[in-house]
Amino acid sequence: MAFDQSVTIGTLTLKNPVLTASGTFGYALEYDDFYDVATLGGICTKGLSLTPLVGNAPNRICETAAGMLNAIGLANVGVEAFCRDKLPKLRARGVTVIANIFGTTIEEFVAIAERIEKDEGVHALELNVSCPNVKKGGLLFGCDANLAAGVTDAVRRVTKLPVWVKMSPEAGDPIGVARACQEAGADAITAINTIRGASIDIEAQRPRIHHRTGGLSGPAIKPLALRIVWDLANALQIPVIGIGGIATAEDAIEFLLAGASAVQVGTANFADPEAGAKMMRGIAAYCERHGVTVRDLIGRVKRNAP
Amino acid sequence: MGPSYHVLTFDAGQQIVAFPGQFAMVRGSTWGQAPLLPRPMSLLEPGRRPSILIKIVGEGTRRLAHASPGEPFDLLMPLGNRWSPCPTGHRPILVAGGVGIAPLLFFARELTAAGVRATMLYGGRSAHDLPLSEEVTEVSDARFLTEDGSRGTRGRVTALLESAVRETQGPVKVYTCGPDRMMAKVAEICRALEVPCEVSLETPMACGYGVCLGCPVKRTAGGYFYACTDGPCIDATAIAWEP
Repeated sequence: MAFDQSVTIGTLTLKNPVLTASGTFGYALEYDDFYDVATLGGICTKGLSLTPLVGNAPNRICETAAGMLNAIGLANVGVEAFCRDKLPKLRARGVTVIANIFGTTIEEFVAIAERIEKDEGVHALELNVSCPNVKKGGLLFGCDANLAAGVTDAVRRVTKLPVWVKMSPEAGDPIGVARACQEAGADAITAINTIRGASIDIEAQRPRIHHRTGGLSGPAIKPLALRIVWDLANALQIPVIGIGGIATAEDAIEFLLAGASAVQVGTANFADPEAGAKMMRGIAAYCERHGVTVRDLIGRVKRNAP
Repeated sequence: MGPSYHVLTFDAGQQIVAFPGQFAMVRGSTWGQAPLLPRPMSLLEPGRRPSILIKIVGEGTRRLAHASPGEPFDLLMPLGNRWSPCPTGHRPILVAGGVGIAPLLFFARELTAAGVRATMLYGGRSAHDLPLSEEVTEVSDARFLTEDGSRGTRGRVTALLESAVRETQGPVKVYTCGPDRMMAKVAEICRALEVPCEVSLETPMACGYGVCLGCPVKRTAGGYFYACTDGPCIDATAIAWEP
């Protein structure tokens, strides 16, 4: 018999713990050629802003050791075009949609949440208070407990949807920021967003990324992400969704054991468009082999030594 | 083909229907976590045994160039837009720089099969930077240029373009692939001569199908194109060339 793969994030039940990360999966329909995206636990949309954004000048990406830097600058179609053009198709396909939203002010976050509230088909909001590649907002919100809680509280008041807050690894006190969001009504914490890094072309003697710094992602950041997720899962009452260098089922299981209630696969989608599908199969096989459900795995390895 | 250029041929196990100008994302199945990303590579040939032309510029291309026979690779193809067919009554002039020859040789072969012999201006730094030049000669009227004069005319391809356009009877269309600065110059010459010009863009890419948004190219109309889905082959006037 199959072992139950479902997980619960607050009031939302996901059919399995594998989500695809914002900014690495487009609006999900792009992956139709590879596998049925409705089989995923969920998909996190490209970060949606109130009005469309064209993004940063090139170069926006470069590869680094077992990772990559990106400074896309949140290029996206805007919340209106998303609701009009993408959401109906996702809804028809039965995809579990997490709308990742981004504002430069609290008012913008609120306006985007209100727009999404008008349509059916979004299952949760993920507040991006941790983008390192934009001049205003972004990291500023995510590194300050009061600001992060302020955004969470304001959005909480205008939506019935579960609210997830996506944390930066650069907050001096991630537990403090996450706790403040929990107090303000967050239903879950997603951790971690990318961490700022840099790379210099020594022949041209200039940065490899036009924005000068970019967000580091990929296997290179996995131990850092796992440690923060472990800390947060140990300290919070609300669920933590693990992200950061998760490429395989084995990576995902590590995060589940550390206390993540679900995981997001990001950069790995670029190396292998079927990474999410393979991860779902691998987790199910592991559960079969160990005779456990996914829920049994969550938090099985304790942060504090007994 | 010398130390820097290599042709890598794959056994696809099935017929790959692809057209000149389209590309593949290529990654070694055994690469593990590094190099992390697949590499965008213009297709040289389609079919059961698709091939790519590699110039070693970094770790990924080095591994591709030194692949062992039978080594497994993951390929995603065909991707992107092909060269637009040469308009009826127009003569094609192909302008290649170094490794940029790959999509243009593929195109010249298609044109030859359709009974059209293209003019090719093929330039490189030295004679070593003109890979596949014999194959090029078979399917086009080729003129070679090198910056150091070690083969063909000394100078850059752009020096011969204007005369090549003027010497050709009737309307022409120019197709170019090579370094950005070369393509910008080709585009500028074509604009001055009021000749249509198409370029094949090359930028870093993480996915190859419009998701990562890592391959923007500045648009004349403002904002950005994405080389993977709006290109790689695109009308030169649509691009805001950087100085």
